[in-house]
Amino acid sequence: MKTKEVLGVIITVIAVILILYELLYVNLTVGSIGKKGAITSDAVLIASGFLLILIGPWLWLGEVPVAIRKFIEAKTGKKL
Amino acid sequence: MYPILILLIVLLIYGVAYILYGKRLLERKIVKADPSRLTPAYEKFDGVDYVPANKYVLYGHHFASIAGAGPIIGPATALAWGWFLPLLWVLFGNIFIGAVHDYTAIMASVRHGGVSIMTISENVMGRKARYIFLAYVWFALVLVLAAFLSVASGIYADIPTAATLAILYMPIALLFGILVYKVGINVKLATLISLILVVVGIAYSFYAPTYLTYEGWVIVLALYSIIAAALPVWYLLQPRDYLNAYLLWSFVLLAIIAPLLLPVIRFTGPPIVNFVAKGGVIGAPSGSPPAGADIAWFWPTVPLTIACGALSGFHSVVGSGTTSKQLSNELDALLVGYGGMLTEGAVSSLAVILPAALVWDFAAIAQSAGLSTDLLLKAGLNITATPNILRLGAAPRFYTAYGFAQALAWSRLFGVEVFPQLFVGFRTFAAWALTSFVLTTLDTSNRLARFAWVEMFDWLKARKPTIHKLITNRWIASIIPVVLGAVMAYPSLPDPIDPTRVIRAYSIIWPAFAGTNQLLAALALLTSTLWVYAVLKVKGASSFLMLIPAMFLWVTVTLALIIWLIYVVPYLPGLYIAGTGTIVAISVALDFLLIVLFARGLKAARIK
Repeated sequence: MKTKEVLGVIITVIAVILILYELLYVNLTVGSIGKKGAITSDAVLIASGFLLILIGPWLWLGEVPVAIRKFIEAKTGKKL
Repeated sequence: MYPILILLIVLLIYGVAYILYGKRLLERKIVKADPSRLTPAYEKFDGVDYVPANKYVLYGHHFASIAGAGPIIGPATALAWGWFLPLLWVLFGNIFIGAVHDYTAIMASVRHGGVSIMTISENVMGRKARYIFLAYVWFALVLVLAAFLSVASGIYADIPTAATLAILYMPIALLFGILVYKVGINVKLATLISLILVVVGIAYSFYAPTYLTYEGWVIVLALYSIIAAALPVWYLLQPRDYLNAYLLWSFVLLAIIAPLLLPVIRFTGPPIVNFVAKGGVIGAPSGSPPAGADIAWFWPTVPLTIACGALSGFHSVVGSGTTSKQLSNELDALLVGYGGMLTEGAVSSLAVILPAALVWDFAAIAQSAGLSTDLLLKAGLNITATPNILRLGAAPRFYTAYGFAQALAWSRLFGVEVFPQLFVGFRTFAAWALTSFVLTTLDTSNRLARFAWVEMFDWLKARKPTIHKLITNRWIASIIPVVLGAVMAYPSLPDPIDPTRVIRAYSIIWPAFAGTNQLLAALALLTSTLWVYAVLKVKGASSFLMLIPAMFLWVTVTLALIIWLIYVVPYLPGLYIAGTGTIVAISVALDFLLIVLFARGLKAARIK
């Protein structure tokens, strides 16, 4: 595994933990995530999870799926 | 008039328009779409922006990007003229102008390597036109970013369950993309898994509000917008918009089913209220003197009110921006561009205007449907305080009419006693449908701003390649417009019109957007018309089918903006004049400059 991919896995795991912790633990125990009219740590954590989940899998799984790459090569006759 | 009759007429018109005007005329006779020609998605494949997409996925993306709140809020506001005139404009504008504009923008871009309609203008109107056009669009997109950052942040701060749904929706969309592209599982199975998760997510969101302040959301969404606009399209944009299309179609299908369940109930609204409405209808800020004056003549001011549902300049930027770079076959463009625009028209006509026409007079509809005042009160509708739909603001007009029409239809099957619960449920669904496309438009706008930025600096490539590489880097080109947008969305100030009210900074220039966006539509259609005439060499009667609507639109929008400058701007406080007034005045000046360049281009093409 390349460094970028390892970083991607770590970020993805952190993001999933943050989202699940807020949705399944904090929400079920408190009844909401965050507090109305305030910036709380819970709100910051779920927002961070929301942003990190966008980046993590992308670093982990790479930019172009092999299936798409092969399809384009077959269609254009060019090696990518 | 019966709703079912209008429904059938509208569906028939759209069907005939798609086949005769779209397929036979535009696709076969004018553009001559060729399925064997490789599109830019293959020729310039880069795995980030140029990636071929399935036509239904692309249809979902294109539709979700062009449909912000426009196709809903515009027609709801235009009800001030009655229901018939807005319906007429939606149908006419949709078929002969808006859908033609969107389709030709996509095809012109596809034939020019996926560049924007602004850059294509260089081929037919000269270099000057191109850079004016690019700068104009880039600033407009920054303004759109500011507005959507503000609108989305406001919605999530006010409706915390919608925020939770948005947070849940993104990982589901990512999962769909990974399942299809990386794991390689069947699209149908991946769709089924994702849709089940979406339904579970929607249900769970009801019980999991996420609270964050408006300012907090501006920061989070600004970061989201930067990341989402720089990520490869196959990774987030395509799967998310594909799933969005299901939400959209459920919304439209319900609007189609409702009149079928109510075959004998008549409209309670007047077809025409008046040919002239108050200035508020054309965007004069509320509380200002023109907002209450009779200055909004149906023609030529209607395009300032109804944008996306009939035609919108923003669509040409999407069509020749993200859509053209993902089109995998020229024949797909008709469904995506022309069909996408007709669907947006269907949202306006069938999901907004038709329900409003039906439930317009609450007492009358209650009487004809056998609903008691008590039952309506249980649903939260006080028909004494709010006797008709025009007493509500534009967005509540839509939620209420859509929710009422649906509840009325389904209570025929489930019993009139469940009307209040059905009304509340469908009204919430309508509000969610309205907000679900906000995030899509937000990051698509940023991606489009990045494309415009890169095209604006292409002259630097040969002269200073290092600087060019740096400033056109996809992260840098994504950060700049979002930061500028956030700077306008974040701060608040007392409204100069009504100092007791607080507004966001971007509101000072936002009223100009309605006009500048439609001006962009006129200029984009003129560019496409010239492209058809000069590059595709389509002459004679067929070329007039584009030239006449293009000129009609230019005259209409120019007159509307002049009316705006004369009747609205002088009555605004200084800050608004400096912001909105200046932008509209500059736009009108550019409008005349570009029409001169268009005339020269046309003349040159005729000589050749």
